[in-house]
Parts: sequence; C-alpha cells; structure tokens
Amino acid sequence: MTVVRSSKLSRRGFLQAGASGAAIAAAGLPGGAWGQAAGVNFTSWSAAVDQVKSHISAFEKATNLKVNYENFPWAQYRTSVVTRLVGNAPMDVLWVSDAWLPEFAEAGWLATIDDMPELTKYNAEAAPFCTQSMLYKGKQYGLAYYGDHMSFVYNTEILAKAGITTPPTTWAEVVQQSLKIKQAGVVEYPMLMALAIDTWLIEFMSAMVFSHGGRFVDAAGAAIMAEPGKGVIESATWIREAIHTHKIVAPGAIETSEINALKALGAGQHAFSIVPTYRLRALNDPTQAPAAGKLRPTLMPKGPNATASATCGWIRFYGMTPGAKANATRRANAVKFMEFFGGKDTGGNYTLQKLLLTDVGLPFCTTPLSNDAEVKAFWTRWAGGGDVIAQQAATAVKKDVIAPWFGEWNETANAAWQSIFLNRATPQAAAASMAAKWKELRGS
Amino acid sequence: MATSMLERLGRQFGYDERSAALLVLPVFAVLMVVAVYPIIYSFYTSLFDIVLTRPWRRPFVGFGNYARIFADPLFWTAVQRTTVYTVVTVSITTVMALFVALLLNEAFPGRRLLSALILLPWATPSIVNGLMWKWIYDPGYGLLNGILVQLGLLEKYIVWLGDPDKTLFMIANAAIWKQMPLAAILLLVSMKSISNDLYRAATVDGANVFQRFLHVTLPALKPGLMLVLVYETMISIRHFDLFLIMTQGGPGDASYTLSWQIYVETFRNLKFGIGAALSYVLALATFILSYLFIRGFGSKA
Repeated sequence: MTVVRSSKLSRRGFLQAGASGAAIAAAGLPGGAWGQAAGVNFTSWSAAVDQVKSHISAFEKATNLKVNYENFPWAQYRTSVVTRLVGNAPMDVLWVSDAWLPEFAEAGWLATIDDMPELTKYNAEAAPFCTQSMLYKGKQYGLAYYGDHMSFVYNTEILAKAGITTPPTTWAEVVQQSLKIKQAGVVEYPMLMALAIDTWLIEFMSAMVFSHGGRFVDAAGAAIMAEPGKGVIESATWIREAIHTHKIVAPGAIETSEINALKALGAGQHAFSIVPTYRLRALNDPTQAPAAGKLRPTLMPKGPNATASATCGWIRFYGMTPGAKANATRRANAVKFMEFFGGKDTGGNYTLQKLLLTDVGLPFCTTPLSNDAEVKAFWTRWAGGGDVIAQQAATAVKKDVIAPWFGEWNETANAAWQSIFLNRATPQAAAASMAAKWKELRGS
Repeated sequence: MATSMLERLGRQFGYDERSAALLVLPVFAVLMVVAVYPIIYSFYTSLFDIVLTRPWRRPFVGFGNYARIFADPLFWTAVQRTTVYTVVTVSITTVMALFVALLLNEAFPGRRLLSALILLPWATPSIVNGLMWKWIYDPGYGLLNGILVQLGLLEKYIVWLGDPDKTLFMIANAAIWKQMPLAAILLLVSMKSISNDLYRAATVDGANVFQRFLHVTLPALKPGLMLVLVYETMISIRHFDLFLIMTQGGPGDASYTLSWQIYVETFRNLKFGIGAALSYVLALATFILSYLFIRGFGSKA
C-alpha cells in the first residue's frame, strides 16, 4: 500500500520535487560554490588526452579531489576558452599558449602565481626560456606543461647518397648542399618548408629570423623587422631565393601544412626541414615513417650576421583563473593540481613530464630530467641521442612578437610572408607592411 | 476595458482564426527568441567597439564600425574577391545546371539512376567536399596533376591552390561541383511543368531545337532560373567552409573573401563589433542582389 502511494505523484508533490530539483541543480551548477569546492575544473585542448586522464586519476587518488576535465580541439580552443572566460564559466586551471599570455593577462583572465611558492619553487629547475615565456610585465602566470623548440632536421641517407658527410652549419651551406643533392638527382627539392598559413608559421619564421641573428622587435618592443640586417628581410630573401632562384624548395611549399610536410619528410622525400622537436619521435617511428632512423637533428644553421646557432622556443603552460585564486579552497585545490601536473607529483617525481616525453614525444622544461636514464634512452632511440637537442634547447629564444595584439598582427604577417614567397612583394615591402601594422596596433 | 477589447477581438476573429493564432504562437515565440532577437542584438552589437580580449571597455561608436570597414583597404580586397568568386560560381553553376536539366528532361535508359547519382555531390558534407578537393589539387600527390601529366597535358606537377591567379577558380570549381546538382534538379522541376503542347505548336510552326529552347523553354524557365540564381548567389556570397579548409584566405590575400574577413575579425581577432558590422554589410549586399534578380526577372517570374 505504501509503495503504491509513494509512486503516485500529486500536482503539489510534483511542484515541490521540481523546486527542490531546481534548487539542487542551481547549487550544483558549474559556478556554484557547492560544485567548485569539490575539486578542480581543468580545461585543455585535445592533446595527450590519455596521458592527462591517467594523471588525473593519479591526482584524484592521491589528493581525494575530483577533477572536472574538459577539452576542446586546438583549432577552436582559444575562442572557446575566451568565450567561457568572458561568460565567467567555472574554470580553475587551463592550458595556455605563450602567444596568448599578454592578452589573457591584460584581460584579467589569468592570475599571477608569484605569491605561490609551492609553484614558483620549480623555476629553479626549469629552462630559463620556459620561465621567461610565462612572464608578462615581470609577473609569472603559470607552470609549464611542455616547452619545445624548432629543430633543423636532415636525412642521413640522402646526404650520404650525394656524398655529403656532415650536415650544414650555415644557411649558405644549406643551399650548396641542396644544389649538390639536386644535381646528383637524389631528390628534386631537398629543402622542405611548410609555408601554409598554419599554426606553426610564426614559430618557423621566428626560428629563421633568430638563426640569422635577428629580431622582429627591439628590447623596448618597437618594430625593427623592416630594417636591413635585422634578420627578417634576410630570412625572407633566403626563402624566396630557395624557391624561385635555386629551386631547392618546392613551389607547393606555399600550401604545405605542417602535417603534410611531416608526411613528406617521413616518406624520405626531402633532405632538410625545420620541425618542432616533439615531432622527431613520430618521424623516426618505423610504423609511421618509411624514413625512420634516418632523420636526425642538427643545430639550426646560421645566417651571415649570426655568431651562434639560435632557434625559436615556445611553451604551453598551466594557468590559474583569478576566480580560482580569489577563493581559498579553489586556490588551494588549483595549486595542488598545478604542482602535481606542472611540477612534481606527491611522490616527488616529475611523472607527467616524463610520461609526455616517452609517450608522445613532448619535451619538457625541467632540466634535471635530462639526466634521467629513460629520457636519455628515449632520445637515443628516436633522435640518435639527446646532446644536439639539449644544446639547441639552450639557444631557444621565445617569440619576441608576443604582445596583446599578436594575433591581429600575425594575420597581416601571414599574408605578408606569403606575398614574399610568391614573389608578389619584395621582402623589404612586405616587412614594411608588417612593421606598419605593428606600429599601428602598438599605438592603438 | 481589457474585457471589452477581448470581446471586440473575439467578435472580429472567429473561433478558427483564434485557434490558429494560438497554435502558431509557440512557434512564433521560438522564432522571436532564436531568429529575430539575435538579428536585432547583432545589429546592436555592431554599434559598439566590442573586443572580447578587452572586457573592461565597450564604447558606443554608432556607425563607427561601418566607417572603419569602408575605410579599410582589406575590405575592398575582400569585396573584389567575393564578387569574382560569386560571379564565377553562380554563372557556371547555372549554365551547367541548365544543360544537365535539359539532358535529364530527355527520355533515355538509366535516366532515373543518373538523376539519383547526380545528386551525390550535393549530399556530400561541405567539409568532406573541401578536404576531397584539397587532396585532388595537392601539388605533390594530387589526382588532378596525376591525370593531367598522364594525359600529357602537363609536363610536371603544378601548384593549384598555392597560385594566387588560380586559387579562387579552383575553390569555385569545388563549390560548383557540390552546388550544381541541386540547381539542376530545381531547373528540371521547372522544365517538367512546361506543357508539351507548347513544343508541339512550335514544331508545327517550324521551330528547330534551338529555337524551341530559346522561345519556349527559356521563357518558361524564368521562375526556376530566378530561384536558382537567388539561391546560388546567397550561398556563394556567404561561402566560408571551403575557404577555411582549402586556403585560409591565402595564399597572401588571394582568397580573402567577405565571409573570411568576418571569421577573422570575429573569431580570430575577437572583435565582435566589427564582425557584426561586416555581417550586416554582407546581409545587406545579399538582400540587394536578391532584390535585383527578382526585379530583373519581372513580375511574372
């Protein structure tokens, strides 16, 4: 009898239940204090998802804190995150690209961590360029997820076929060796460049400019990119001549994305290329690339004005939202999370950093890990050793065009680069248009 | 007072009208919320200098965003690219669709199967279409280069999408491939409605096949052609997905169209005010073009 009565819902009962449900839902809604105190809201792009999930499980087990993990595809990530930040969606910790730091910091979407010694203590064991990449106006905004740099890669087999014994050390030598390879009939276009408007174009061009001993802007942030001898015009001229004069770069490079370039390089169709270092693992994996085992990094060639090899480095990091920092519980949870993921776990180990390298190939910012036996074995297996990578990492320079207006400037820069590569504009004219846009945005 | 007004309305409209209004009301309310309100709100947005990365400021600029757009040389580049792309796509789609419709209007074995097969490109998702054509055009391993070299029409592989002189036309080709089938079916439906008596009378009068086409088919196709032209223009002028997948506005600014500019300003530069203003400019252009087509085809059409 009781069962029958309880299963029957009166109108009053229905309304009461509805109101209670609504109240519970409101309290449990993301953003409500009840929901946030329970754990950490972590947002990332869809990369290394399996590794992140396994580390989340470890974190939950070790701390008894629940992690609400959500991820978006990289292509939509910035827009998705900005929309959520503007809408005050519940976010405690998020992955941030170094390119977005100034605009996020200026917008008040990231909290400084200078007053969190649990996190800043890891600076002592991080590569300097990594820490610098998380600084804006002298304040630190996060803890590294990974740090990488552009590597110059060569195909040992192709060089050997052309009778070349050592890889090039200057950009002039790259031309000479490419012409030799071309004349020997080994490959038609020895140098592979991914020049499509793509995620990596600015890192790629920055690596070229830095390796020419140049910069886009001076120490005060003023544009020097249009000045002769500052690297930009020289780099652009080199690429333009490589395509149109020496014909050592395929004219199709203008529409070659990084992914397609990796496929071509992995297929053994090119002698030289510039790739993010974390791609070395896949490039030397026989199940993914026919040229596996033949692709080796060497130091970035130098331009005529450069005194030493240099490359472009970048990092992605864990940032904390001001909302999380303002609430004592959320702040404590977020700090624990960031330390567990970007620093050492509760066992005192850099577990995730090592896992990301060995599983996915993502290099880390943590210098002590370089001496780890497993890490050394990894580089030996996938890159023929880690010495060159460590040496190049030490020369990595963060992108100097990172500013609150970087994204908008980069739209102009992308079109300008392509007009140079297409021989539709002189490097001087295109660099002048980039500089003018920089000046306009900086002054606005 | 309120009661008397209701009574007057009750007397003015019968039970059926009132019931119909009541039934339509929920849909009307939904449309107001999901269609009308966003349209009005986006116009309101276009009057402010809204940049998402500067959330602390939201100055009212009136028609300032529109003035900035018209003063921007890139906008006029986008207008030029959009015009070329739209003219090429719409004209070729319409002409090809007309020929295909004429073919399908004839009786021959396998006509029904061909009619079904011809719709396949239209059923292909836009993203798949873009990726497929990007692959076909690839300068390294693309099918187009392969076929042309095999046929001896090309000496070596060439760059299609990476050549600014070809880019817009190659994208237009991919769009035509997808859009032509629907246009052909729409014209075919119009053709089917033309009375055979008109053709018989024209034949009796001594009209040959071309004269019958010019003086019977084409005039009777006016409504169908207008529909196709308006629809294809609206689609082409706002085309975005192919540009996103195939060129991202490049190389250089070779495929920098209005819809691409809207995307860049809104979702990359996060300038919602400018993006909304650009959207309104595009919507206005679409409206004017559609109106001109309808006017141009006369009241009968």
